[in-house]
Amino acid sequence: MLVVGAGLAGQRAALEAVHAGRRVAVLTKLHPLRSHSGAAQGGINAAMGPQDSVHDHVYDTVKGSDYLADQDAVEILCRQAGPTVIEMEHFGTVFNRASDGTLDRRAFGGASYNRTIFAADRTGLALLQALFEEITREERLRIYEEYFALRLVVRDGRVQGVVALNRKTGTVEGFSAPAVVMATGPFGRMYSRTTNSHASTGDGCALAYRAGALLKDLEMVQFHPTALPGSGILITEGARGEGGILKNARGERFMERYAPHAKDLASRDVVSRSIATEVAEGRGFPDGTCHLELMHLGREKVETKLQEIVDFCRSFAGVDPVTQPIPVYPAQHYMMGGISTNPRGEATIPGLYAAGEAACVSVHGANRLGANSLLETLVFGKIAGANAAEHASRASPAEVTAGEVEEATRELHSLWDRKEGESPAALRTALQTLMDRNVGIFRSPGPLNEALAEIRRLKERYQHCHVADPSTVYNINLTDALELGHLLDLAEVVVRAALDRTESRGAHVRLDFPKRDDVHWLKHTLARWTPQGPELSYLPVTITEYTPKERSY
Amino acid sequence: MVEVPLEIYRKSPQDAAPHYDRFQIEVEEHTPVLTVLLKVRDEIDPTLSLRYSCRQAICGSCAMRINGKSRLACRTPVGPEVRLRGRIRIDPMGNQPVLRDLVVDQKPFWDRYYAVKPYLIPDPAHPLPEGRESPMSPEQVEQFRETPRCISCASCYSACPAIASDPSFLGPMALAKLYRFAVDPRDGGYTQRLQAVQNQGLWLCLRCNLCVEACPKDVRPAERIVDLKWMANQELGAREPGSRHAIRFASNLTEGGLLNERRLAVDTLGLGGSLRQLPKAIAMMRKGRSLRRHPPIQGLNEVQAIYQALDRPEDLAHRERQKGADVKGPRPPLPPKATTQSAPPPSKGGSP
Repeated sequence: MLVVGAGLAGQRAALEAVHAGRRVAVLTKLHPLRSHSGAAQGGINAAMGPQDSVHDHVYDTVKGSDYLADQDAVEILCRQAGPTVIEMEHFGTVFNRASDGTLDRRAFGGASYNRTIFAADRTGLALLQALFEEITREERLRIYEEYFALRLVVRDGRVQGVVALNRKTGTVEGFSAPAVVMATGPFGRMYSRTTNSHASTGDGCALAYRAGALLKDLEMVQFHPTALPGSGILITEGARGEGGILKNARGERFMERYAPHAKDLASRDVVSRSIATEVAEGRGFPDGTCHLELMHLGREKVETKLQEIVDFCRSFAGVDPVTQPIPVYPAQHYMMGGISTNPRGEATIPGLYAAGEAACVSVHGANRLGANSLLETLVFGKIAGANAAEHASRASPAEVTAGEVEEATRELHSLWDRKEGESPAALRTALQTLMDRNVGIFRSPGPLNEALAEIRRLKERYQHCHVADPSTVYNINLTDALELGHLLDLAEVVVRAALDRTESRGAHVRLDFPKRDDVHWLKHTLARWTPQGPELSYLPVTITEYTPKERSY
Repeated sequence: MVEVPLEIYRKSPQDAAPHYDRFQIEVEEHTPVLTVLLKVRDEIDPTLSLRYSCRQAICGSCAMRINGKSRLACRTPVGPEVRLRGRIRIDPMGNQPVLRDLVVDQKPFWDRYYAVKPYLIPDPAHPLPEGRESPMSPEQVEQFRETPRCISCASCYSACPAIASDPSFLGPMALAKLYRFAVDPRDGGYTQRLQAVQNQGLWLCLRCNLCVEACPKDVRPAERIVDLKWMANQELGAREPGSRHAIRFASNLTEGGLLNERRLAVDTLGLGGSLRQLPKAIAMMRKGRSLRRHPPIQGLNEVQAIYQALDRPEDLAHRERQKGADVKGPRPPLPPKATTQSAPPPSKGGSP
């Protein structure tokens, strides 16, 4: 079987499949250790504290999701949290410890207890290294580094494999597999103000969508409250978990007004809206930011528990958080939506699976709680890997034919061989500026309609863009153009779904429909590719014991 | 704003000879080099090839040589570089073959990483506790020191002259990784790991500290290598030429204040081994190097005092405390893992 993407979800899926006796190929356009999972800072949630319980974790997650999460899936997520953390510890992760030798826990937004296990402020890196080191033992697992997936091959109603470009040689190769796990991460690069890596271009989501798989809830875009302005570099929620507070230009601790109980640790959608509102109403600093203060925590705490943050601020913002406030503004951070799967990790095409940020199970609904995403990658990576392995063992042999490889190659060359046209870079900048401006934290029909029309024009212009680099070796001009094509397809879905959802829920805020509407909108948005653009349909939310009620923090 | 004269190394796989392309770009002082390179690619020359992803110094993709020094492009601001050299010259990383422009083949780097078995080796005598975390005190976590910060960017590898001179050297990153597992109380491979690197793999380090300077995450690989050498000597005894050399070097120096190289060769390599070095000795003497025994220098007692001070246990303890490590030796205390009780919390800090 085949896994596309080698971050935490992809690696965990691959490891599980190898344990189930399969031979596994993992394709990644980077090196596994360069995956964006490594950039996760704050931690991983597991109800391991003495007062805490799985039940509380489920409740907090469902409430955080603004009741759009599927509660059966959340239950799985939270129940598996403890064993997952222990397993990662046994794989070698060095988590911070409390004085009694047990795992230390920190506070995180939207959580009733200190539930976030962490490794300083580089938890993602610690987990990624430990998992990668674990899979390097496995001989039946082969990693194809720096392969860029071009096409998901679906024939006879089921998955046959993937066609991919070898970035080092420029050759196009077919990988036949009866089961494919897409674990290609997010598509935040449709925004310029984003915490996501340059590689976060939703390749797997776009390929699955084009091959006929359904996407779910793409309108649900999380903006992280605290990113450095300009660069969009993330300042972990752990900074507030350790006691950091937000202030406006008048020196007010404004979160007291928006979330009297949780204050700075309200859920992310709430804090992001609050910062944006403060700035919009003239109480921000002249550079359009609010300030995050850590000075009162003392040098030692800041320098030991938030090392990376100190480093980022000093090198990227010229600010020393030990003695100075950090200027922050919300930036796109996480895509709650993705390839629609059920809690078994199965997408809507037989043989196709998805996990991690590329997937939408859905455990995050309309708003993800901090430190639940690392957890999701591992829990549902494992589940998708196990089910894909099982499917692969039963399925008849799959084949990506020479004809299919040739067809993908022809398509690639129709883009590559054009002799003139606009540069993909110019189109990408146009898309990012548009998404920043029109599809941000606060949404309304005017800007959304404008965005939709503009994206369609950009897609048309994309048909004539020009890849100037003819080289077959490490041609980033070419892969940039391919990534842009993926982003354009997905951006169209984000905007279409945001236009249709005439309510405000979690991260999706419509100024013309400021209230949540459970009567009409307690349902997931599904999108299917058609030549005319996405065709939307809806799927009820799975509710077990938590009936929707008003959310307050 | 600052005018940045850029010189970028260019090489296509077909070119026999690489060349530099020159660009002039105006940006803010604190703009990272990566941003400038992407600007060149987006606005001037779309054929420029490089690796990059996170742009926040955590994915380790964009290491390259900036004005000769191995750095991450994403966290090197242009201002100071331009002030220092009047221009910014960008070269691909060292010690790895160039595939194209700034993209190198990292196989030599990763091969060394795999060679140190970068994963926990189970300790059959002390299995991991079932269903719960291994007990570890905050002090023990502290003993991993800087090594978990490593982002595998290969800046240290690129900067290392020992790799350039002897490909059998494992290099800074792989050895720092080995250290990370050697000090892990959950790992059962302590002796095996040290044995595996005892020979040239460990002792070829020149202690030039270029890796410390290059590391964007302050992992300080050279210091971890010194720690490993010490651990190897303690655990395995000074059996290898490298470790004997280190020990005899000190005793040799305290005898007369100047090295007696003839004696050092015999002590390190044995009589047979040093006889094999005879052609080298003759070549050295031809170049005017004296291998005679020097008379003791003036102020020998001061040299001896320095060594004595370094060897005094209380000073050793002080040095170790400064580094936040165990006072008795470089090996960190293991957790009480032999007991069958239900995993008591480890005693604080002390040696078992």
